[in-house]
Amino acid sequence: MDVYAALQAVINGLLTGALYALIGMGLALIFGVMRIVNFAHGAFMMLGMYVTYVLFTRTGISPYALFIVTGTILFAFGYVVYFALMRPIHGQSDFMQILLTLGVGLICTDAVQLIFGADYHQINIPLQDTNFRIGPNISVNAPWVVSFGIACVLALALYLFVMRTMTGRAARAIAQNRYAAPLMGINVFRVQAISFAVGSAAAGIAGALLLPVFYLYPGVGDQFTLKAFVMVVLGGMESIVGAALAGLVLGVVENLTSLYWGNEWALAVDFAIFVLVLSLKPSGIFGRQTV
Amino acid sequence: MRRAHWLAAVAAVVLSLLVPLVVQTDYKLQVLFRIYLFASLGLAWNLVGGYAGQLSLGHAAYFGAGAYGLALFSGTLGMSPWLAVLAGVAGAMACALLIGGVSFRLRGPYFALSTIAFAEILRLTAKNLPGLTGGDVGVPVPALFHGNINRSFYWAAVALAALSFALTVVISRAKFGYYLMAIREDEDTALSVGIGAARNKLAALLISAALTALAGALYASIFLFIVPDQVLALDVSNEIAIVAMLGGAGTVLGPIVGSVVLETASEIFKNTFKEAHQLIFGVLLVFVVLFLPGGIVGTIAGLLRRSDIPGEGA
Amino acid sequence: MALLEIDRVSKRFGGLQAVSDVRFSIDERTITFIVGPNGAGKTTLFNLITGAVHPDEGHIRFDGADITHISPNRAAHIGIGRTFQIVKPLGGLTVLENVMLGAFMHTSSPSKAADAAREILNYLQMEKAMHVTARGLPLAMLKRLEIARALAIKPKLILLDEVVAGLPTAEALRLAELLQKLPARGVAAVGGVEHVMRVVMSIADRVMVLDHGAQIAIGKPEEVVRMPVVIEAYLGTKYKELGL
Repeated sequence: MDVYAALQAVINGLLTGALYALIGMGLALIFGVMRIVNFAHGAFMMLGMYVTYVLFTRTGISPYALFIVTGTILFAFGYVVYFALMRPIHGQSDFMQILLTLGVGLICTDAVQLIFGADYHQINIPLQDTNFRIGPNISVNAPWVVSFGIACVLALALYLFVMRTMTGRAARAIAQNRYAAPLMGINVFRVQAISFAVGSAAAGIAGALLLPVFYLYPGVGDQFTLKAFVMVVLGGMESIVGAALAGLVLGVVENLTSLYWGNEWALAVDFAIFVLVLSLKPSGIFGRQTV
Repeated sequence: MRRAHWLAAVAAVVLSLLVPLVVQTDYKLQVLFRIYLFASLGLAWNLVGGYAGQLSLGHAAYFGAGAYGLALFSGTLGMSPWLAVLAGVAGAMACALLIGGVSFRLRGPYFALSTIAFAEILRLTAKNLPGLTGGDVGVPVPALFHGNINRSFYWAAVALAALSFALTVVISRAKFGYYLMAIREDEDTALSVGIGAARNKLAALLISAALTALAGALYASIFLFIVPDQVLALDVSNEIAIVAMLGGAGTVLGPIVGSVVLETASEIFKNTFKEAHQLIFGVLLVFVVLFLPGGIVGTIAGLLRRSDIPGEGA
Repeated sequence: MALLEIDRVSKRFGGLQAVSDVRFSIDERTITFIVGPNGAGKTTLFNLITGAVHPDEGHIRFDGADITHISPNRAAHIGIGRTFQIVKPLGGLTVLENVMLGAFMHTSSPSKAADAAREILNYLQMEKAMHVTARGLPLAMLKRLEIARALAIKPKLILLDEVVAGLPTAEALRLAELLQKLPARGVAAVGGVEHVMRVVMSIADRVMVLDHGAQIAIGKPEEVVRMPVVIEAYLGTKYKELGL
């Protein structure tokens, strides 16, 4: 058995996993903390990819700088979507929330398909040709390293936002007791809107960072919605850190699966893990058992 | 069921069967086939999603099981086509047993997510085992009818829709239907009056899966060839759920109305906007959730109830 | 033989001892009240009896059979009915349909279930509301609906969690009158209430007092009310010393 191949897979997995972590943390904030079931999360990531793509082809600026713009646009988009569509059904069943966000996701995906067509797109940046070598047997592609770095910084920022800022604390307060929170002077709708927007921005930025290393097509987001939920469940519902760790685990598991069984099974393994965790330990691998 | 309603239903079925006398074009018969097929699918889904209140977004699993059952049992195992259809139904019910067994223990969004995960696992398995399923390349499906195919398939779809409708009516008025609705409204309350929630949800799913598989087999047979991304895709699950929600989940007529509206709209959209004709699905879904949570039929029923002198409930 | 036996039952949730070493029994056709402030363990005790949770220690016996690890729907089948502290109507169904769900335990026919349901609704003076959708009902009606639905399963024992909480006194007393007739219908009732009140005093055969999960007194209402431990638990040591 080739140890180096396995090691390479693990390293690639960690690099991929960092981007996954960003998407997962975004959903952990939206769903884990705010209990908003967002089935459009992957679509927002896809929108982030397309926004960055358009900006890149128009201006030639690197996605690794554009992501800030993408993040801002997706933040605004998320905020508007929350107030226009989610707020009116606040308090309704999960059933309705799922269907609503599912619909939003469908609209995003198909609107993009209408505008850009169903073709696959790809961008070219010089960084794609650079590889770093770690020893004689392991190499990593530069774009992945850059996005890993940016994702780590943003993940830390997201963590600090949730744990240290007033809004983040308010969000956690709402999660713990949604009846007492308004009594403490928390403007529940505003906090939810901001959380939704922040989570969406995280997804959008992950999309921007993914653009140089992935194919772009309207349906690319679907698998990421599901992966994001896998991460949130694995990580233990409310835990932002848990989702991040789960992202890394997912990345590594996928790459190892690809190595030994082939690419095609990677996604299937994700779902198998999901089903197993839900059946055996619904509070997640990193979560706490609640009554 | 009141006599007038019963007569109306029979008349509707008879009229539907007579349609091919008037409509002769292949294209129109195919559109009608699709409308009746999705009415059946919506009615089947409605048992689980509407009456029992369990949001399954993975019904493609049973649809695909029916389709692949027909293809593989007749192809590899050499069964005669209609026997293969039954085998496919059995296979779908086996899937339902597994999927339901695991998923029904989960509450809220986890149930929906679990159903999606299972459907995706099936789809990916079909894609990745070309030796068994033909993989992405696909697999041929035997013709269930010969001769005037479009008319025969249309009649089959009418028959399936009639069967699904009849089952829905019978169930909704029986103890089983009441039990499902109780589970939908509040599962803890249902348990407190002795309702075996798991057992009843599973029963509903088994019936739903069987009907869905029959529809899947018909669908596969009219195309004579299937690939995983066609019959096991998320899109199929979504379309089925939207048909029922648009028309009115938890009502008897809802899925039928929903299919007529959705499939007609989809057809019109398809002719104008070649790509992205599914945009209409998303828009209608959002619209229904925001403005018509009871669906078309549910909302109309609600309005009629309010204008009545307080009397019999719906 | 007692209908229900709670035999040294304890339940802990994480760091909280919700119920500790409770032991008492309920006879057929009696009315018992479990008194204790919110958090004292009444609802947990009810959940233990119906099987929504299972005890860490001890046994529960009903009609001679051990039901320590029973499941809620099984509990309903052997004759234990319950109402919930926060009412749980089946909102989208009518009042009649709600009660029919209970009646279905003993019949498969919707028309027979409807007849049985109508009888109970008449008994609870709710005929006028029969075809109203449950969701729109005021609290007093919802509380009666809970009872009606539980009675429809023809229980031998009915657990009423905070059944008069939130009701104006007049309505509470009216309800108490109806509950008083339950033993004559063959039903033993156990009610959970926050504190002893006119309702309890007037209809209870026995009263059991819970304080922080522990059983501190049991007996006839007028006896329990005078017990020093009870006075201390409710009013504090000062009052006990004053001999009130």
